[in-house]
Amino acid sequence: MADVIWGNGSEVLSADSFVLSVTHKKNGNRDDYSESETIVMTSADLPGMPHGRDEWTAESLKTCVIGAFLKCEVDKRDGAGAVLAKVSHSGAGGY
Amino acid sequence: MWVPRIVDWPRIAELNLEDVICGKTPMAVIRGFYGKQECRAAASKINAHARTSFQDGQLSHIGPFLMAYATNKKKYFKNAAAAQMALGKIFPDAHDPIPRMYDVVGRTLLGYQVSLARESQNSYSPAVIRIHGKGKAVPVHKDNVGYEGREYAISDIDCQLSCILHLQESEGGGRLITYGRRWKKADERFRNVDFGYSPDLVKCARSCRAPAVGAGDLVIINPGHYHEVTEITGCTPRITLGVFMGIYRRDRRVVAWA
Repeated sequence: MADVIWGNGSEVLSADSFVLSVTHKKNGNRDDYSESETIVMTSADLPGMPHGRDEWTAESLKTCVIGAFLKCEVDKRDGAGAVLAKVSHSGAGGY
Repeated sequence: MWVPRIVDWPRIAELNLEDVICGKTPMAVIRGFYGKQECRAAASKINAHARTSFQDGQLSHIGPFLMAYATNKKKYFKNAAAAQMALGKIFPDAHDPIPRMYDVVGRTLLGYQVSLARESQNSYSPAVIRIHGKGKAVPVHKDNVGYEGREYAISDIDCQLSCILHLQESEGGGRLITYGRRWKKADERFRNVDFGYSPDLVKCARSCRAPAVGAGDLVIINPGHYHEVTEITGCTPRITLGVFMGIYRRDRRVVAWA
């Protein structure tokens, strides 16, 4: 099972990367995560985010992640320590 | 005092939904909106109908809930079409409560036309039926299509109402509580992982617990205010029919969806 962290997007760094203020971590995560992690998106399931990766821009990412509560399913860390993850808008699924 | 506005169905003209929209009144309760016999007939059909479920199978539904398809419009509209068929079987024309809901909103927001929301060639889902069993609760949350539903045309509404028709009540629990705090984006810091928000968010807010609601009563709230449903303690599931209403001020029209 992949590691999972949740939190709020706080700063966009590029068309596919941003800083996450981590608020929750899945019990049983294998890796350790700090209060602030750089996330590089491997895929996105975010309302308002273009569905095609080639259409992603820093501006569209800003609209979708700043302040938003996000779920990051971790693939791995890259050489610079950034977290590569599938990012989705967490917990909007209804009741 | 922040108390519900309760009216009997024949006196619906006394209701002013603008007070619910602006938060002056926490909720409107319309007693006897739908007949007890109609409720029993609908509940019987609902219990026999195949259900969809999400949240790890904890909850059961008939019809899609737009927020569960925030990034999958194609699937939402496909399921919305199927929901229209299913709802038609549960509520035969003469006993369909959805047009009556439109009538309530149209009569209490004077001069507004109410219709099912449409986008391109697609109709939104007219309603969602929720079947919540013993032990289930709905945590503190808000509903705001302008935020999570931004891929949908209706995300540009000016304000939103939530209409909940109670078709079957449980013996205990399942009470709606609404809070005098409106969602703002900064509150996303208080999110729960699965759904809803930390109760800390509303602990200082004024609150209103719905009065005992019976089958056939219609409750209308502004879902932009935080609200929750207490744990169901009885063995009989709580069954409700939910419809959202989105208000366009300039056009004086209301669109409905679930």
